[in-house]
Amino acid sequence: MRAALKPTPRPSSPRLNAPLYASVARLGFRRQFAYPQAALWGLITNLFFGVLRISVLVALFGSKPQVAGYTVQDAITYTGLTQAFIMALSLFGWTDFMRTVHRGEVASDLLRPHNLLAFWAAQDAGRAVGQFVLRGLPMLALFALIWGATFPAGFTGWLLTTLSLLLAWACGFAFRFLVNCAAFWSPDAVGFGRFAWAVLGLGSGFLMPLAFFPQWFQGVLAFTPFPSMMNTTVEIWLGVTTGPEAWAGLAVQFGWALLLSGVAAFVLSRGLRRLEVAGG
Amino acid sequence: MARSFNSRPGQKKDLFSSAVYHLHLYFLLLRAQARSQAVYRVSFALDALGSALITLAEFAAFALVLPRFGSLSGWTLGEVSLLYGLAEIAFVLMDLAFGGFDAPNLSQHVRSGSFNTFLLRPAPLRLQIFGSDFALRRITRVFLAAGILAYGVGASGAVLTPETALLLAGSVLGMIAFFGGLFVIGGTLTFWTVESVEAMNVLTYGGRTLISYPMDIYGQFLRKTFTYLIPAAFLSYFPVLHVLGRPLPDGLPLLAAYLSPLVGPLMLAAAFAFWRVGVRHYGGTGT
Repeated sequence: MRAALKPTPRPSSPRLNAPLYASVARLGFRRQFAYPQAALWGLITNLFFGVLRISVLVALFGSKPQVAGYTVQDAITYTGLTQAFIMALSLFGWTDFMRTVHRGEVASDLLRPHNLLAFWAAQDAGRAVGQFVLRGLPMLALFALIWGATFPAGFTGWLLTTLSLLLAWACGFAFRFLVNCAAFWSPDAVGFGRFAWAVLGLGSGFLMPLAFFPQWFQGVLAFTPFPSMMNTTVEIWLGVTTGPEAWAGLAVQFGWALLLSGVAAFVLSRGLRRLEVAGG
Repeated sequence: MARSFNSRPGQKKDLFSSAVYHLHLYFLLLRAQARSQAVYRVSFALDALGSALITLAEFAAFALVLPRFGSLSGWTLGEVSLLYGLAEIAFVLMDLAFGGFDAPNLSQHVRSGSFNTFLLRPAPLRLQIFGSDFALRRITRVFLAAGILAYGVGASGAVLTPETALLLAGSVLGMIAFFGGLFVIGGTLTFWTVESVEAMNVLTYGGRTLISYPMDIYGQFLRKTFTYLIPAAFLSYFPVLHVLGRPLPDGLPLLAAYLSPLVGPLMLAAAFAFWRVGVRHYGGTGT
């Protein structure tokens, strides 16, 4: 279909049109800055919830200096990080791709000379960076100013944290895209998504640090990709995980990112095969 | 309640039959919506389960973590469940009743101009808004909240006498009115602005989360703000303290534990006064 329209690379082509995806990412980044006022209110809401979450964690710690490798200060930094990542890592859910399938807009995206998955990945990467700059960095700055939130230690700390954050985004994106692919099979994909986002919140360590959960529950989660979508990054940032353990964490994240991306690409191709869009 | 919706002068003579008429109208609106939502059964079931799952995940995370710490500054899981269950059941019942006033729903009518249709119909405006967004899928959250509350009553060792039962019921009613009032204020704001209504989320969803935990865990500033400036502590925290036989903070008299059914309706009355100003301000979209 596409090849008939334009003699550009087919979607299955191994050659990547890097400038195209770079500009898609750049536009995804810029789009986030359209409503600064809404972002400000969002920041205030996130900050308020941050205060509530800190209060609960500090009250839980009581006079205990350390629990499961976390100090009270770590727990506060953890809260700042998770509140900062809400938008960048879309922890409350993401239905953008689903919507284009339900509305049929995906058809016009398919006419364009690009790989649909790479197109969405580029767009979401830009969106994530934009949201991190707009909502994440101010949140971290506020947490550092008000509650003395800590930052990664030294060059290795920053390197590991940055790599881990990129991989967390990659895992999360592949998972979110996969969930959105449900739209090819069902008009109820939004309802299906609600399950996925609830599990994501619990499993990625957004609701509570995974280290605080009972051993059996941590054991179950270790077999899932959810810790790779945020918790690993948070523990590397805090220095709870360091050295070879941190590199192992990165390897696991990398493995899940590859696997989930592969599954997402496969499911997408199956979904596109059964896609029918009504004209009009 | 329906009596207050009566705005037609011709019916003033027979208040009772008018109340019955309006109540009937309200339930007709609810039934129509419930039936339309139940048409797509799979979709409805997924939505219903999914909306409860978020609350479940949140509560489960807390319950799973608590044993490692022992208690939440002296509060056991059962005692926190009492607060958590009360706040959740009141909020979801409020959501069912006041959903039409919720800013995202109402702003859609205001922006598209379909708010005009409400004004044109020969039925009281507020009754129509009350009946305009009845999300039946929230029913699962009612059951979940009732379960958490029941666990709280059982595990906290609260003595359930007719008096304490009445106190807790009053607390729930007060909270429904209080948060309903906040929804009405948020909805009314959309007559002026479609942005920055998100600020209300801090008070509604933030307030709900705030009172889901014992308020002594918050700093003095936050606790006093949400006691004396925004009277959220009167809604469930003080009644629960009393039911558990704990003293009220700041040397407040025992009477403070009974004020929820007063604080809530006062908030709602103020909200509806603001609503009337908003409706008068509304000018349609010109379409």
